[in-house]
Amino acid sequence: MRAEDQTKILDALEQRVTATRSGRAAPMSEVLEDSLYFERRRLKEDRGKSPAFKKDTAFWDRVANELRGASDAQQRRLTERAVRHYGEEIAGNFDDRVYQVVTRAMPPALGLLLNAVSPIKLAKRLPDLPSIDDAIVVQGEVEQLRKLHEKGTVVLVPTHVSNLDSIVAGYALYRMGLPPFLYGAGLNLFTNPLLSFFMHNLGAYTVDRKKQDPLYKDALKAYAQLTLEHGYDNIFFPGGTRSRSGAIEKRLKLGLAGCGLQAYIENLKANKSRPDIFVVPCTLSFELVLEAETLIDDFLKEVGKARYIIDDDEFTKPSRLYEFMTQLVNLDSKIHVTISRAVDAFGNDVDDEGVSLDPCGRSVDTSRYVLTRDGPASVADRDQEYTREVGERIVEAFLRDNVVECTHVTAYAIFSLLRERNPRMNVLRVIRTGGEDEDLALADVYRRAQALSDKLFTMSEERRIRVGPSVKRNAEDTVSDGLKHFSIYHTRPAAKRRGDRVVPSDRTLLLYYQNRLEGYGLDALGGAASLSPDHRALAAR
Amino acid sequence: MAKLTLIGGGAMARAVARILVSSGVDVHVYARDTTRVEEVDGIVVHEEMGPAVEGANLVFLAVPADNLLEAAEQYGEFARGDHVVLTATRGVTDRFMLPHEMIRAMTCVRKIGYLGGPIHARELATGRQINLVLASRFGEVIDAIRGLTKGTPIALHKSSDVVGVEVAGAIANVGSIASGLAAALDLGDTARGVLLTHGLVDATRLGVALGATASTFSGLAGVGELIPRNVTSMDRHVDLGRRIAEGEALADALVRVDGHVEGVKTAEEAVKAAERLGLELLLVPAVHEILHGRADPRVALEAVLHRSLDLDNAVAR
Repeated sequence: MRAEDQTKILDALEQRVTATRSGRAAPMSEVLEDSLYFERRRLKEDRGKSPAFKKDTAFWDRVANELRGASDAQQRRLTERAVRHYGEEIAGNFDDRVYQVVTRAMPPALGLLLNAVSPIKLAKRLPDLPSIDDAIVVQGEVEQLRKLHEKGTVVLVPTHVSNLDSIVAGYALYRMGLPPFLYGAGLNLFTNPLLSFFMHNLGAYTVDRKKQDPLYKDALKAYAQLTLEHGYDNIFFPGGTRSRSGAIEKRLKLGLAGCGLQAYIENLKANKSRPDIFVVPCTLSFELVLEAETLIDDFLKEVGKARYIIDDDEFTKPSRLYEFMTQLVNLDSKIHVTISRAVDAFGNDVDDEGVSLDPCGRSVDTSRYVLTRDGPASVADRDQEYTREVGERIVEAFLRDNVVECTHVTAYAIFSLLRERNPRMNVLRVIRTGGEDEDLALADVYRRAQALSDKLFTMSEERRIRVGPSVKRNAEDTVSDGLKHFSIYHTRPAAKRRGDRVVPSDRTLLLYYQNRLEGYGLDALGGAASLSPDHRALAAR
Repeated sequence: MAKLTLIGGGAMARAVARILVSSGVDVHVYARDTTRVEEVDGIVVHEEMGPAVEGANLVFLAVPADNLLEAAEQYGEFARGDHVVLTATRGVTDRFMLPHEMIRAMTCVRKIGYLGGPIHARELATGRQINLVLASRFGEVIDAIRGLTKGTPIALHKSSDVVGVEVAGAIANVGSIASGLAAALDLGDTARGVLLTHGLVDATRLGVALGATASTFSGLAGVGELIPRNVTSMDRHVDLGRRIAEGEALADALVRVDGHVEGVKTAEEAVKAAERLGLELLLVPAVHEILHGRADPRVALEAVLHRSLDLDNAVAR
């Protein structure tokens, strides 16, 4: 981001968030008292661990002092300062010069980036550093994305399974010849100074999920929206957090996606020459997931109330990350980055020129959707409805462009056999005990995998899913490859071959990998509609 | 002044036009067959859709389910994102596509309102209070229609459950066929009531599977519509049921009944949809079989009457 834009955005942020707040019924002093309450509670729990602890404590002490006996105008000024305080933390320091250097030297730099997790430990291994370049396959609507980047502002919305996602997505953008997109990354990822340096300069701004203050959340949303209004492309992870179960996310957190529509409305109001916002779904498909073990454990432990912030997973263990990258290369494993067709801020299809289309392919003047008697304006319930539609379109694209890999097919085959053999056990018991038999016949696994992949190939012809190159027509090859993948990276293999038998050694991992095939109605043939009814009409076409 | 364009020249369109024009709305009508649109003072009749829709804030697609897709496609040429589009079509098309889905599939419009509940074209013309359920996910739609019907005999009841109100309306037609059958077979008033309740349970089950809210079916769009519809027995679906029970073949009966009998197609599509969704319906498949001469009316309806209504499990059977 250009330095002058950074300043403009922070100035506007201060004004906008404060103005929205003063428009509400609650007096400003209450807003600030809430901030003080939430921030002091957070700092108390933090006990000096976070790098900004001293600075934050001092800031809020000052606010508390000045709030006493403050006039309305002073309260307003204090609120602006609080928003500024948050804004500066969110924005971080993006340095255009550093960005130029980093991106020019991208492929080696990316290795370095991964290395940055622990520079000292990994420095000696530098010569045989795995190259991520060959491992990433970028496919799909790349051309459209390139064009839309010129025509308006893009919000890339990827699936989310791993902390590597933002790096992989960033790298894919680089490979497509696009500048880095801005994205929010958990503050916990910024604790390593070198990693933090790279992330900031590759477009990351910080998101601190520990901050509960509503004013902070307002500031975060407004910041993202302002960057869009200034024409900066963004990456939003609509799942909100990494998928714990391994399944494609279906319940999206659309708060940030809603920013796209609001930015569009603001652009119309300001008569901008390129007002359009394009939402581009993107699926990131891994054969192996770095943090699979931690994520699925978290899912099973706390089904319903996920920990949300995990700061001790594989991503923070350099040896695991290194091993993962090495195995990725050794196995000739691919990470597929699939760019889906874009939609506009209302969920309409968009052609390569950025023109919105109705379901019959006729062009649509989208500014009409937000027209009120007083010109273009936000209307809360209407906009929520538009954004919900965008969410549905994103989920459809995720399912359609999800790339199935050998590990998913193998896990699905084994796991479904386990469930079938143990009809009286619930799924948790199957996972805990592994069922009544110690192992399964390899031939049965082959047969099940064959039936599944036949179905998957049919579905892929119908453009309902994508089948990755690791899934072969002959399921024996797929299963062998899947078992090989399982045996190599995880602490305990999800399943392993023993002669003509297959031992399902880690059922939680099997569950995790098979979950990638959730939502396609595979278990109930013909299955229930996975889309919400409002959108069936379009999906059926 | 608000401009409302009616697309379709049926009884419903005429009745609505008459009420609205008397309350000062600028009403335009487009119909393929303009001879069917009677002259009403102040209503502008168009022979082409473009000028009819030009500058309109509201568009009412007042056509039967069979023609809705086609009408929507044609209207799609002139549709705009700020239009509020209404329909009251009771029925579905292939793959159980609901009225609002037909409009969505053919146009760019989003602000769709569906009119359900106990409305009958003949009642609309009497000047008595008319009760309508207006289902929309957009507050702007509700506000626009409120503004339009202020001071008219129309009482609006709003709902955000578009799917529920549409499914209730469509399946109610099938229930009415059963009611007509039962009347002709002299199964008695209780049996008629039980059959209608079965229809409601089927509708609820199907609706909920499609994303509707169960409580919609016990409201004005569900039970609230069934009661007047079957008390007045002026419904063409009841008439069709009677004729079938008396031994007329479906094709002949359809010719003799006055107006579109959308319940026949609805029953067929509902049976297929239930199969796709893995739902067990009771009354709807029975009516479907009877209509097509594959089941004896008395035997099939008595079989339904012997089944438990299982109201506790209305949502998932």
